[in-house]
Amino acid sequence: MSSFGCPFCGPRPLEEFSFHKTLPNVPGGAFEEVYLRSDDPTDSHEHWQHRYGCRAWLYVRRNPSTGRILEVRQLTGSAP
Amino acid sequence: MSASAPLRQGTRLSAERVTFRFDGRDYTGQRGDSAASALWAAGVRLLNRSIKYRRPRAFLALGPEEPNALLTVGPDPACVPNVPAPQLLVAPGLELRSQNRWPSLRYDLAATLLGLGNSFWGAGFYYKTFMWPSWRTYEPLIRKLAGLGYAPGASTLPAVPVRHLVADVVIAGGGPAGLVAALGAARAGLSVVLLEREPVLGGELEFEAATIDGEPALAWVERTVTSLEGLGVVTLTSTALTTVGESLAIAHQQPAGMPGNDTLYRVHAPLFVNAMGAVERSIAFVDNDRPGVMLVGAAERLLARYGVAPGRAVVLFGNHDRLYAAARRLREARVPVLAIIDTRTVAESPLRPLLMADGVECLLGHTVTAALGSPELRAVTVAAIDAPTRTRRIPADALLVSGGWSPYVYAGLQSGGRPDYRAELAAFTAEDQPEWRLACGAAAGHTDLGAVIASAQAAGQQLAGRARHTGADFAATPIVLGADAPPALQPYFRSPADAADEKRQFVDLQNDVTVADLRQALAEGFIDIEHVKRYTTLGVGTEQGRTGGTLGAAVVAELRGLPPAEVGLSRSRGPFQPVPMQALIGHRTATELRPARRTALHELHAAAGGELELMGGWLRPRYYTANGASAAAACIVEAGRVRSSGGICDASTLGKIEIRGADAAAFIDRVYLGRPSSIAVGRSRYAVLLREDGMVLDDGLLLRVAADHFLATTSSSHLAHVLAHLEFHRDTAGAGRRVALTDVTEAWSVIVVAGPTSRTVLNEVLGGSGAAAVNRLSHMDVIDTTWGGFRVRVLRASFSGELAYEVHCQPAAAPLLWTRLAGSGLLPFGLEALDVLRVEKGYLTTSEITGQTTPQDLRMDRLVAAAPDSIGVALLGRPGLSDPERPILVGLHATDPAARFYGGAQLTETADSVHSIGYVTSSVYSPTLGRWVGLALVARRLAGNGTALVARDPIRDGDTAVSIVPAAHVDPRNERMKG
Repeated sequence: MSSFGCPFCGPRPLEEFSFHKTLPNVPGGAFEEVYLRSDDPTDSHEHWQHRYGCRAWLYVRRNPSTGRILEVRQLTGSAP
Repeated sequence: MSASAPLRQGTRLSAERVTFRFDGRDYTGQRGDSAASALWAAGVRLLNRSIKYRRPRAFLALGPEEPNALLTVGPDPACVPNVPAPQLLVAPGLELRSQNRWPSLRYDLAATLLGLGNSFWGAGFYYKTFMWPSWRTYEPLIRKLAGLGYAPGASTLPAVPVRHLVADVVIAGGGPAGLVAALGAARAGLSVVLLEREPVLGGELEFEAATIDGEPALAWVERTVTSLEGLGVVTLTSTALTTVGESLAIAHQQPAGMPGNDTLYRVHAPLFVNAMGAVERSIAFVDNDRPGVMLVGAAERLLARYGVAPGRAVVLFGNHDRLYAAARRLREARVPVLAIIDTRTVAESPLRPLLMADGVECLLGHTVTAALGSPELRAVTVAAIDAPTRTRRIPADALLVSGGWSPYVYAGLQSGGRPDYRAELAAFTAEDQPEWRLACGAAAGHTDLGAVIASAQAAGQQLAGRARHTGADFAATPIVLGADAPPALQPYFRSPADAADEKRQFVDLQNDVTVADLRQALAEGFIDIEHVKRYTTLGVGTEQGRTGGTLGAAVVAELRGLPPAEVGLSRSRGPFQPVPMQALIGHRTATELRPARRTALHELHAAAGGELELMGGWLRPRYYTANGASAAAACIVEAGRVRSSGGICDASTLGKIEIRGADAAAFIDRVYLGRPSSIAVGRSRYAVLLREDGMVLDDGLLLRVAADHFLATTSSSHLAHVLAHLEFHRDTAGAGRRVALTDVTEAWSVIVVAGPTSRTVLNEVLGGSGAAAVNRLSHMDVIDTTWGGFRVRVLRASFSGELAYEVHCQPAAAPLLWTRLAGSGLLPFGLEALDVLRVEKGYLTTSEITGQTTPQDLRMDRLVAAAPDSIGVALLGRPGLSDPERPILVGLHATDPAARFYGGAQLTETADSVHSIGYVTSSVYSPTLGRWVGLALVARRLAGNGTALVARDPIRDGDTAVSIVPAAHVDPRNERMKG
C-alpha cells in the first residue's frame, strides 16, 4: 500500500494522506465512539484525510494484513 | 600481499595495486578487491571480535549477509561503523578498523579479564544478574562493552539524493533468474527496473561453470545484459532492496560498498519479483565461529572473484552434492583439499570417485564435531554420526561448511505471506503471496540452474499476463548444459554435543546466539519462534536472520521435538539490508527538516536585534537584544514597558480559520463550547473547543464578521490539528454541512498593540476614519476599515491584561504599519515578554492545554454548562474527571518573595514527601509584582487559595516553598483591560 485512490484526486502517494482512527466496533454513544474502536486484522473500517491534497475526509476499508485497500469513498455524514 | 607479491587473477580484479590501512598497518590489494579478500590474501585471519563474547572472528559468508566481518571506515569522529568487509571495495588510503575490541584486536581486555571468552553469559543474563542495587549501576560499564561498533561522533557524509522511478515491474536480483524474468517482461512490452546488490550482474554464474544456449555462462550474461539495455530496462547495480510494499519498492545504491556516494531509489511499480536467490547457511558444531570456518559459497567467491585461496589445507563439510562440485573447482585452482565430510550415508555425485582417486578423503555418514585452534582454525575433529564420541583429528586451516541454502524469503513474509517448510531444501519458502508479488529462481526454492531459469521464464510470462499485455514475444527458454547437479540435500543442522558444549555451538554468529541460549529460552517458556527471537536476539542486527534464521528455527524444532514446519520462521521487516539513516533522511536535515515559516515582519525583527527561534514551525523573536543580553533580562524590560506605556508584538503566527456559509452558526455551536452563535456581528468572544474525549483541544477567539461569516483564531502550533478537526466534524455532520473552512493564517498579518498608550498611538498612526472607528471600540469589538488603501481589521482584545488591540492587515501593509507604530513610541516586545504578561494574568497556553486537561480542570465550567451538546461534553461526566486527586488549575507564588521556582517542578504537600500532587505548568518573574509567580495543576482537594506546597526541582534549584493564590496575579478585576 503506497498509494490511495482519492475519489477527487485519483491515485496519490500515501504520504499525502493521514490516518485518523478506526471506526467503533459496537454502535453506541460517545464512549463507544471514542474508546471501543475495532481492531480487525483483515477488514478494517477507517477514517483518513487527504491532508496534503484536497483535504477531503475519507471512509477507507482496508485489509491491514495485506495492505490491500478494499474501498475508498468520501465521508458523507451518513454512517459510517 | 606485499607490493612484490604476484598479481592475482579474478573476475572482479584489475592489475592496479591499491594500498590501504587496517588497524594502523598498511596492506596492498588490487583494484576491485573487497576488504575481506585483500586482507585474507595478505594472511590476516582475525578481522573482528564478536558483540557479546568478544570471540575472534573473520568472515563467514563473504556477501552482504555477512554476520561477522563488519568494519569501521574512516578516522574518528566522522567514521562509518558496521560496513560489511565483503562488500567494501579497497581504495588508496582507505582507513579501516576492526570493532568490538579494546585495546587491540589480538588482545581484548574484556575477553581476557572478564572471562567472557570462557564463562558464557547466556540469554537474559544481563537482566537477571545486574539487578542489585539497580541495573543503572552496571549500565555504563556494560554499554561501553556492548554495541555493534561505535556510533560516530560526527558525520561529514553528503546528503543522499532520492530518485523516483516509475515502471510496470521492479525485479530484485540480477542473477540468472532476474535476468531471464526481466528479459521476458521487457519483451512483453513492460517497463522494468532491475536491482542488483553486487556491482556486476550474473549472480552465482560468476563461478558456476555452465553453458547457456551454447555459450559460456558469463558470455550469456553479457549478451543478455545487452538485450536488456536495448529493451530499455533500467538496471541498477550496487543497489540493494531496502523494503517493498504494494506498488513501492525502496532500494539503496551504495557504490564501493560504503556510504559516501549513495542514492536512494523509490521505484513505483505495481508488480514486484523476488529473484534475490538463496542464502547459504552453516551447521552448528562446537567452535563453529573460528576464523577459517566459512561457507562453501564464500570460498568459491573468494577464489573466482579475487583469486584468493581459502586456505592451504582445506576440508569441506556439509549435507549435499555441491560439496563435490566445489571441491573440484578448488582443486582445479590448485587449492589443497584434504577431506570432504558428508553427513549423508549415500552420495551419488559422479565427482566423488574422481576426487577420491585424486587422494581426497571422502567420508560418508560423518560430521565435524568441533573446530580446534585459537584464535584461528588449526584442525577439525570428525566422527561418525552414529558414534560421535569416537573422534579423530584432521588438520585444516580452512573448513568450508554448507548446511544448504535458505531461499531469500524475507520480502515474501510480509503482507500476508507465510513460511512453508520444504524438506528437500531443509528451508522455508514464502507462500500465500499477494497478486502483486512473485518469486522465481532460488528465492522460490529452485536449486539447479535449469530449474532456476525455467521458473524465471514462467515468471516473465506471468508478469505479462498480470499486466494484461498481449502479443508477448517470448523467446524459447534458454537451454542449460553442464551446470552443477541438483544438491540432493539431506537435512542436517547440528552435530551431537555434550550439554556443556552447546554454549559453543553458534547458531547466529552476529549476535552470539548458541544452541544453549535457544535451549534456555525454551526452558523459560519462550516457545514461539518470535519469542525465542526476542529473548535470545536470534536474527536481529544487520544480519536479520539471513545466515542464522533458518538454522535457529531448525534447532528450536529439534529441541522441541517438532518438525520445523510447526516452528516456522520469524519474520523480519525491512530494511532487509542495512541502510544508513542518512540515506532515508535524504536532504531533510537541520534547517531542511521542517520548513521554517517567516512572518511578513521577519526582516524588521532581524534588523531590530530580535533573537529568532523556531517555535511551532515559525521563526519568531523571543526578545530583542537591545533590551538585555539574555531572555531573562530583556523580557523584564519589555513586559514592564507594556504595562507602563505600551508595545507592539508580531502575532501573525496565530492560526486563522474562516468559517463561512449558511450553516456556519449552527456548526460553531457544535464544535465550540459556550454557544458562540450568540456573538453579535462586529463582536468577538473567547472560545474553547474540545476533542471527542472531552479534553481541551485549543482555545482562541471567535470573531463574527457577518451573519454567516466567522473568523476563528487558534494557537500557532495547533492550527493543523484544529483545521482537520473542524473539517472532520463538518464532513461527518448528518446535516448542517453548508460550511466552508478556509485556512487564512498567511493571508493576514497580526500586530498586537498593547499598553495604556495603545489607543492614542493607534489613533495617531491610523488617522482619519480608522482612528474614529478605533475610538468607538469597546472590549471585544471588531471593526473592518482601511489604511493607506489596505484592508485592516481591528479587534480590541487583550492577551496581556492591558488595553490592547489586534490589528489584522494584509501582509504587504504589515512592515509599514509596524514601522509607523514603532516610530510613534511603541517598541517591539518578544514572546518571552508575552509569556510574562499572560502568566501574570493567569491566561492559558499549551503548557496548560496539554491534551490531558478538561474544561473543568481549566475552570471553564461556565462554558460547558452553556453547551450541553457540543463535541466532547458527553464524556465530561465520567467520575474520574472530578476525582479529588485530579489536578485543577491554580495560581502559585513563591512564599518567600525572593525565592524562585520553575515550570516542570513537581508539587508535594511537604518537603519530605515524594508523592506528587501536581506540577508547575508555567512560571515567570513578574516585574509588576517583583516576585516569581506561576500557574500549576494541583489535586482538587488541595486547590484552595492559601494552601502551602513545596515545588520540588532536584535537578535545578532544589525545593521552593510556594502558596496557592488566584490565577490572575495582576489586576484580577480586569480594570486595565476594559478601561
